[in-house]
Amino acid sequence: MTEPITTSASRVRQVEAIANGTVIDHIPPAMTLKVAALLTGTEDQVFIGANLRSSRMGRKGVVKISNREISPHEASCLALIAPTATVCIIRDFSVVTKQPVPVPERFDDVARCANPNCVTNHERWPTRFVVVRGPSEARSAAPIEVPLRVRCVYCERGFAAGELALLDR
Amino acid sequence: MRFAGRQVLSIADFTRDEIVHVLTVASQVEQRGRGALFSGKLMATLFFEPSTRTRLSFEAAMLHQGGQVMGFSDAASTSTKKGESLADTIRMVEQYVDVIVMRHPRDGAARLAAEVSRVPVINGGDGANQHPSQTFLDLYTIAKLFPALLTGDRQLTVAFAGDLKYGRTVHSLVSALCHFKVKILLTAPAGLELPQQYLDECAAAGLPVEIASGLPEAIAASDVLYMTRLQEERFPDPVEFDHIKASYRVNAAMLRSAKPELRILHPLPRINEIATDVDFTPHAHYFPQAGNGIPVRQALVGLVLGVL
Ligand SMILES: [Zn+2]
Repeated sequence: MTEPITTSASRVRQVEAIANGTVIDHIPPAMTLKVAALLTGTEDQVFIGANLRSSRMGRKGVVKISNREISPHEASCLALIAPTATVCIIRDFSVVTKQPVPVPERFDDVARCANPNCVTNHERWPTRFVVVRGPSEARSAAPIEVPLRVRCVYCERGFAAGELALLDR
Repeated sequence: MRFAGRQVLSIADFTRDEIVHVLTVASQVEQRGRGALFSGKLMATLFFEPSTRTRLSFEAAMLHQGGQVMGFSDAASTSTKKGESLADTIRMVEQYVDVIVMRHPRDGAARLAAEVSRVPVINGGDGANQHPSQTFLDLYTIAKLFPALLTGDRQLTVAFAGDLKYGRTVHSLVSALCHFKVKILLTAPAGLELPQQYLDECAAAGLPVEIASGLPEAIAASDVLYMTRLQEERFPDPVEFDHIKASYRVNAAMLRSAKPELRILHPLPRINEIATDVDFTPHAHYFPQAGNGIPVRQALVGLVLGVL
């Protein structure tokens, strides 16, 4: 197990300390409530900090969820709407891991295609987006573009990840 | 290079070598003439929106080689009207046929169909997205006129004129030409320029792109002039539309400044953008271009059926 990092723990405790659970930090301000909405579907306690001061990004959002780690589906959604966020796992008031949101190669049935004429908006069919890498796509070595860009595999349109609406689960 | 069973959905799915192979096979098929290549094979033409031109071309391609076709030519005559999903329509049709050609008003419909179909799907146009057999036939036409396209003996100049923003055929052809080191010349009315994404693709491929001052410059400087239709609904002001329409119309007199080898292409139907007096000049090549759709579609069908 990783050694508790108590100093960074006190730094992320700007909203309400949680004993155990997950802190999603460095959320772009405009995405804070989207992230909160994503995580409030369950019975768990969720704490929201909006427009907090951040030395790294000016303003940021923080969302904390008690007593659980986020699911793979939630992580995938998070990567789409807040790819620059960090995910901290808290145990006994200490940060045990602090990592950037893992950005998958593709997003399956996570968001609605923003192209109104896309077939996925007219047929009952799961959506799929792939991450666009660099100017020459399809090269897995090329860096992920920030802000994150994705392409619908059906209509082949490219979108800024933030402009996509998440699907209801 | 494996083509049997392959889906033909988007020109972007094909490498340079694969594109060249399709063009080479098309040339062989054309030289061979009519035959019985597709004897015993059945094609479904599923046209969820009407496109007489594309449907007739695929059907002729099949029939000229002894194949058979069945299908429908607009959605009103299908069970889609009764609420059947596209996936279910495909799952039914694939039981009957060896290959499916599909036209659909929604972007991405062909890829959805291909995901449920065990037989190859050839995209005959999905909304504003892709129409790969058109791009293959455009490339075939250019390569047949100018073998330098494939050999690289000299750099061809391909000019595009008209609505470059919404023209699906222009977007796909520009992307495909990125494999062939041509020079691209563009002329479009304000607001209908080629989208940045395609300029970026050209830049990444090292293709020189120049903006022509207008149609006369494009005519004088190019080997191939690809004309497109201007659609009135893109212009809120009818007076402005009339003015722009006039400046993006080519006629025989304007072609006096052209190189002798200039050939004019157009995906058809043309409306006013090519005056009928151009038809009688050696520069007119849009009808032979449409004719090239037969060997190109035969090559695609034959390759995915595994008979070529
Ligand atoms: Zn889409």
